[in-house]
Amino acid sequence: MPVNYIPTGTEYFRFLPEIILTIVATVVMMLEPVIGQRNRSFLPNLSMAGLFAALWAAVVAYSNPGPAFHDMLLIDGFATFFRVLVIVVGILVVFASGQYLRREKAEAGEYHALLLFSIVGQCILAGANELMMVFIGIEISSIASYILAGYLRDDKRNNESAIKYFLLGSFATAFLLYGVAWIYGLTGSTNLTEIRRILNTREIAPSLTLVGTSAALMFVGFAFKVSAAPFQVWAPDVYQGAPVPVSAFMSAGPKAAAFAVFLRVYMTAFEPISDRWAPIIWISALLTMIVGNFAAIRQNNIKRMLAYSSIAHAGYVMVAVTAHSSIGTAAAMFYLASYAFMNVGAFAVVTHFARQGEQYLKIDEMAGLAKRQPATAALLTVFLLSLIGVPLTGGFFGKFYVFKAALDAHLVWLTVLGLLNSAVAAFYYLRIIVVMYMHEPGESTESLQPLGAGLKAAIWISAVATLILGIFPSDVLNFAGKSAGDMMK
Amino acid sequence: MNLLDILIAIPFIGFAAVMLLPKSNPGAAKMFALVVSLAVFLGSLALIGPVIASKGDFQFVTDVSWIQAPGLLAGEGIKYHTGMDGISLWLVLLSTFLTPIAMLISWKSVTDRPKEFFAFLLLLEFGLIGVFVALDLFLFYVFWEICLVPMYFLIGIWGHDRRIYAAVKFFLYTMAGSVLMLVAILYLNFKTGSFDYPVILNLLSSGKVPLTHLEQLLLFLAFFFAFAIKVPLFPLHTWLPDAHVEAPTAGSVMLASVMLKMGTYGLVRFCLPLFPNASRENAGWIAALAIVGIIYGALVALVQPNMKKLVAYSSVSHLGFVVLGVFSFTQMGLDGAVYQMLNHGISTGALFILVGFLYERRHSLEISAYGGVATAAPWLATVFLITTLASIGLPTLNNFVGEFLVLQGVAEVNFQWTVFAAVGVILSACYMLWMYQRAFFGRMPGQAAVASHSHSQGPAGHTHAHGEDAHSHSHDHPHDHDHGHKHDHEHHHEDEHGHWHMPDLSLREWAAILPLLVLMVWMGMGSQSFLPSIGVATARTLQQNKSSIEYQVKIPAVIPQQAAPVAEAVNAR
Amino acid sequence: MHQLWLIPVFPLAGFAINGLIGRKSSKNVVNAIAVGSVLLSFLWVLKALSAMGLWGAGMPEEAHVERYFTWIQSGNLNIGFDLAVDRLSAVMLLVVTGIGLLIHIYATGYMAHEGGYYRFFAYLNLFMFFMLILVLAANYLILFIGWEGVGLCSYLLIGFYFDKKFAGDAGKKAFIVNRVGDFGYSLAMFLLVINFGSLDFGKVFEAAKAMPVDQGAGIFTAICLLFFVGAAGKSAQIPLYVWLPDAMAGPTPVSALIHAATMVTAGIYMIARSSALFVHAPIAMDVVAIVGLATAVMSATIGLVQNDIKKVYAYSTVSQLGYMFLALGSGAFAAGMFHVVTHAFFKALLFLGAGSVIHAVGGEQDLRKMGGLRTKIPITFLTIICAALAISGVPFTSGAASKDEILVAAYHHAPWMYWVGVVTAGMTAFYVFRSVFMAFFGKYRGSAHPHESPLVMTGPLMILAVLSLAGGFIPLPHFLEPMFPKLAEEAPEKWLEYTAVASGLIGISLAYLFYVASPKLADAASKNFNGLHKLLYHKYYVDEAYDATVVEPIVQGSRSVLWKGFDSGLIDGTVNGIGYRAMNIGGALRRLQSGNIRSYAGWVVLGSIAVILAMGLTGSIR
Repeated sequence: MPVNYIPTGTEYFRFLPEIILTIVATVVMMLEPVIGQRNRSFLPNLSMAGLFAALWAAVVAYSNPGPAFHDMLLIDGFATFFRVLVIVVGILVVFASGQYLRREKAEAGEYHALLLFSIVGQCILAGANELMMVFIGIEISSIASYILAGYLRDDKRNNESAIKYFLLGSFATAFLLYGVAWIYGLTGSTNLTEIRRILNTREIAPSLTLVGTSAALMFVGFAFKVSAAPFQVWAPDVYQGAPVPVSAFMSAGPKAAAFAVFLRVYMTAFEPISDRWAPIIWISALLTMIVGNFAAIRQNNIKRMLAYSSIAHAGYVMVAVTAHSSIGTAAAMFYLASYAFMNVGAFAVVTHFARQGEQYLKIDEMAGLAKRQPATAALLTVFLLSLIGVPLTGGFFGKFYVFKAALDAHLVWLTVLGLLNSAVAAFYYLRIIVVMYMHEPGESTESLQPLGAGLKAAIWISAVATLILGIFPSDVLNFAGKSAGDMMK
Repeated sequence: MNLLDILIAIPFIGFAAVMLLPKSNPGAAKMFALVVSLAVFLGSLALIGPVIASKGDFQFVTDVSWIQAPGLLAGEGIKYHTGMDGISLWLVLLSTFLTPIAMLISWKSVTDRPKEFFAFLLLLEFGLIGVFVALDLFLFYVFWEICLVPMYFLIGIWGHDRRIYAAVKFFLYTMAGSVLMLVAILYLNFKTGSFDYPVILNLLSSGKVPLTHLEQLLLFLAFFFAFAIKVPLFPLHTWLPDAHVEAPTAGSVMLASVMLKMGTYGLVRFCLPLFPNASRENAGWIAALAIVGIIYGALVALVQPNMKKLVAYSSVSHLGFVVLGVFSFTQMGLDGAVYQMLNHGISTGALFILVGFLYERRHSLEISAYGGVATAAPWLATVFLITTLASIGLPTLNNFVGEFLVLQGVAEVNFQWTVFAAVGVILSACYMLWMYQRAFFGRMPGQAAVASHSHSQGPAGHTHAHGEDAHSHSHDHPHDHDHGHKHDHEHHHEDEHGHWHMPDLSLREWAAILPLLVLMVWMGMGSQSFLPSIGVATARTLQQNKSSIEYQVKIPAVIPQQAAPVAEAVNAR
Repeated sequence: MHQLWLIPVFPLAGFAINGLIGRKSSKNVVNAIAVGSVLLSFLWVLKALSAMGLWGAGMPEEAHVERYFTWIQSGNLNIGFDLAVDRLSAVMLLVVTGIGLLIHIYATGYMAHEGGYYRFFAYLNLFMFFMLILVLAANYLILFIGWEGVGLCSYLLIGFYFDKKFAGDAGKKAFIVNRVGDFGYSLAMFLLVINFGSLDFGKVFEAAKAMPVDQGAGIFTAICLLFFVGAAGKSAQIPLYVWLPDAMAGPTPVSALIHAATMVTAGIYMIARSSALFVHAPIAMDVVAIVGLATAVMSATIGLVQNDIKKVYAYSTVSQLGYMFLALGSGAFAAGMFHVVTHAFFKALLFLGAGSVIHAVGGEQDLRKMGGLRTKIPITFLTIICAALAISGVPFTSGAASKDEILVAAYHHAPWMYWVGVVTAGMTAFYVFRSVFMAFFGKYRGSAHPHESPLVMTGPLMILAVLSLAGGFIPLPHFLEPMFPKLAEEAPEKWLEYTAVASGLIGISLAYLFYVASPKLADAASKNFNGLHKLLYHKYYVDEAYDATVVEPIVQGSRSVLWKGFDSGLIDGTVNGIGYRAMNIGGALRRLQSGNIRSYAGWVVLGSIAVILAMGLTGSIR
């Protein structure tokens, strides 16, 4: 990139969401001390406003898609899809967080600021067309979420979770960076499109062993971020330790963004050597599903169970990646979208139920919820059915679509095993329904307060989205399919 | 938006509406639900005419695009494609007919969250109707899965002691089967680029999209496995007894009468036409399993101490006949099978209802807890007897016609099968009559047995009233209210044994059971009201099943792997 | 059209009315409906038959068929609800409605003080309905309706005293054993449809007649044997006769009507009806004859030593049915049917008489507790004597006429059968008169105050007595001959009949010797042949054998092996096992989650190495 390079207006325009979010985040942090205890609700509202603005920006940015900053970013449909997704996740999380923070006496601007920063990173990841950008994005989003994971400073679980997340995360990122370095050394470029071109042209193609190795190194990084086997070990502890809304956030936003960049890198830059990584991802996908589902069976802590389930779902997305076709990519995108909603929704309900100091996290403690708060129970049921993959929910269609892609790519066995896995998954999700509907209410349920406004909004939005994605998925699908097609061209 | 669509929509809307009704006034919710289901039933009667009039092609067809994603979902994507022929028609009517009855029998017995209970019944009806009319494989799968949810809740929330185990077992068992079916559906879509059943059928049978022998076999097995679990075919039946025993009466009724038919319906509608060769090649062991199921189910039913379990195992036995008939690939066999689906729906449904009545009276399902019911509640006993006779296939009652046709059809293919299957008919008499005798004859347990009569005395003790002999008389026949001077003995007797008080059928109970009795006789003597329309549809199914084979035989070049087995399959006919 | 459908519909209506309102209405109403309905159908039978010229021109030989509606239609099989009357069914119609009417009348007296009065007559009417359907059927499936229906009614009526366990058991036993027979019957039907494409008597028999005897013998044999299995169940032949003796648990009129006069002869009727098939299956014919004969002998021997008066007549019924099958098997179909009729007369009379006796002695059925009744209940005594003479084949009685025909036919079939038959005839005479002598001679050994029965009961007895004596002069065989295939006619040799008569008389005189002249002898005999006596008294322990070899194994096996072992153990064990296996895997996987960062880092490193090696060293560019 020439030194005297001056971005055009359109490029800034395409970068608008990130800009907005950054500014708002900074403002939030600076205002924190200024506005005292009086109107705390101002900061959340401000960040919420920022998120909506960013959402708007992300949408309009698509009106004129294209590269930005000398092909560092590529704001195409694919990018837009994920930017919108992570921003929406942000909105939902902000909705869900308010009550929680108030409960834990931890209302501080920094929480929202960190949230926004992390989202900025994810937006960058969504649009990154350049390995440096990939690295920067990952760092921004991760560092923010490291801190968020340990947000309640004087909570042991939070600290442990944060430490683990941080150490292992940076460890993995090191692999990623190393991979980036290698590939740059091999191809003299960090631009994905360029790398692909080079790999595709025989005469200048570098040693494949080395390319493969670098791909592997980067895979370690990505796999870690999406918590795919065998790099999923951190997820359960971290998700369980972190504050519930943060777990919701981490399992939806960063994961989606990580998959976005994972897809982009492997579908473009490393597409030429797919026969090298496809088998690995095949195995990884299967392992991820198995580990996630089977480990989840025995969990009694709902947070931890959802953590394992999020591993399992990462496995399903990996199946779509294995297909490495535009259909597969589209399937992955759709799946991540629906997963984001049902998972955030589920976590939101947990947030509601856990109460002060997250004292109620045992599955059995939800006994008889359907008797006391039928609506809440019903909504959680919707999320769980969607996680199981029962028709007319986003989860079902996502799964259906993922496995369709896999079959189209002749991955018959992966399909069969994957679907059998989803049958296993039914078992532990059903347990929650059983407890809620078929057990008599206990003290833990009796003492439950009605839903707060914010949580209510988060939960209802997620539920409606889950159902819409399940009943009328056409538009989302079309968009995903189209943008996936473009991205892989 | 034709009548059928409306009939599918109403229960769903009703479900939502009932859910939203205030739980403060369950009575209103119940009444509303009942009215909705009755409306659906009356509406569904209007379906009969056109279908019967038709030449076997689908009626009330709706074919609109549901989910489209050009380039991703090949072709016209997923469609909302429904329609009904003679096979679907009666199964749909069975569902719409039994739902109100299921509500009636739950009217008093369901006290916990009645609103939700009735709502779930409506949701179930929605799913069931959908399953039987879906002509798009994806749509079919959707409805198939939807049925799972309400039934899961019905068993799990309102069931008996081990309800949770039963509910989860039911859900997972079925899930395991249906995921494989999903794989098969996806694979068919991958090969044909469509989910639309008629389109796929056309592509496959015309040979435009040839399946290798292995492909067809695996696809067939995937579908078959899902259906076999639902039927349930021996040895995949063990979820059924648990589900039945634990489910509330209405649940058992809907489960036995309609849900099991989803499996057999699937076999007829999809397995035979889509995979002609595979289905014929595998007919051997499937029929064997069916026969084993017939005899095995009957034998196990024989020794059940629990009425519902007994009826559940008898279902395993009865459904064996259906599967056997389907895989005889004969007109009579198929007609009988489809007819037997309905018969089983009626008579077994009635059995569960009656067992439910008994349960409401004495709160036990153990046969040993009963006895002498015929003395206390003669009408209940009579109705139960008629139902029993229906289910053991007494001529003039419904089951006989079905079983006769099935066995006749099978006999034309393989007489040995008939011989073995017919053994089941003997056994059915054994277990049903034995249960009936233990529950309705003799005396209520705990009742002072009158001086035991040695065999040789025979009815001597009754022939005449001499002096104090008369006492022992009123003892032996609490029946005769027509004898003035014995009434006092009668009462004196009742005081002696409190158990005697067992109310006979109430008006509501009559309302629930009488329609079923009428149908038993009607379907037994007036089979012509049903069989012709069924026959047209089954004939078509059979023809599809044959024609595609012949086609592929004509062009072995296209599918060399298939030629040989096909030839065998054809010679085997 | 003769509106044949009315014949069965009358009793059906009677059943419906009594069943619905009988409980509340008075006995007279119940009687009126029950007897009236049967009377109506009896009259309608007479009307229809005379319209067909039964008395005048003589009935046409081909059947008069009335088709009402299609019952079952599938593929190329079409089964109509058709009724028909020909000479064969005409005879049965008269017997069923006639005897049925008498027994209904008798029952109004006999059951006068019984509980469930309306129920009894409702069942009885229902039985008449099904029996008439059976007789009028124009195809095998309609016949099967009646066939199963009468079985049902006998189940209900045997179990009439349902609060007695043994009654319920007997009813169940009857139904289930009959089911075994029906199993054979239905299989035969399936074979018919396969080979003739129809179940219509007309079509099937035409087709059969068209075939030369040798052709398709195999299939004919199969069909006929299967039909015979059905007949053996319904008409209580070896090995399916066991239900009939127990059936005596029902009220005596039921024993008379169902288990002596009508239902149990359905098997004979059905085989006579199918004669066109049986002539094609000589093997089957032999089987029928031999089984019939064996049954006759066996049950006669059992009858020798029974002390329950109804048991004696029950075994005698089984034995007489054996005779009829012997006739059928020997090709003397007309003779068989003739015996059906005469037997209906005298056996019904025996049972009703027995009922009258039981009635008189206050419910006692044990012959040893009777005696000397001939003075106390003379009418009953005289009528029973008539029946006893008839069954013993004393000349000029109805029994003599039919039995002699059978024995003659048996002789021409195979002489040894004749001789066995003759011996059996002797035994029959012996045990019947044994019962008569024990009941009516000597001095009264009971405690009750015997008294003659009312007219409603004795009236039917007298009518039947006349029939038993004079019934033999009805030219039935001649009337039926055209219905059946001709078989080679040898000149009847007189000595055959004389021997038969002689053996009967010997039997009678022996009975007199043992039970009147010098009762000591009887006890002495039973002492000397103690073992034999026991064996016979316990009916050769057949019931016990069945329980031990069939019933118990099935029940126990199903319980312990199939249900507990296979179903709960193996299948469910596997299913749940999978669940637990999954659980354990879950547990193991969970243990990987040590929570210790170092080990996690270790995982990451190991994983990375694996991935790097894999990706680095495999595959190639495309």
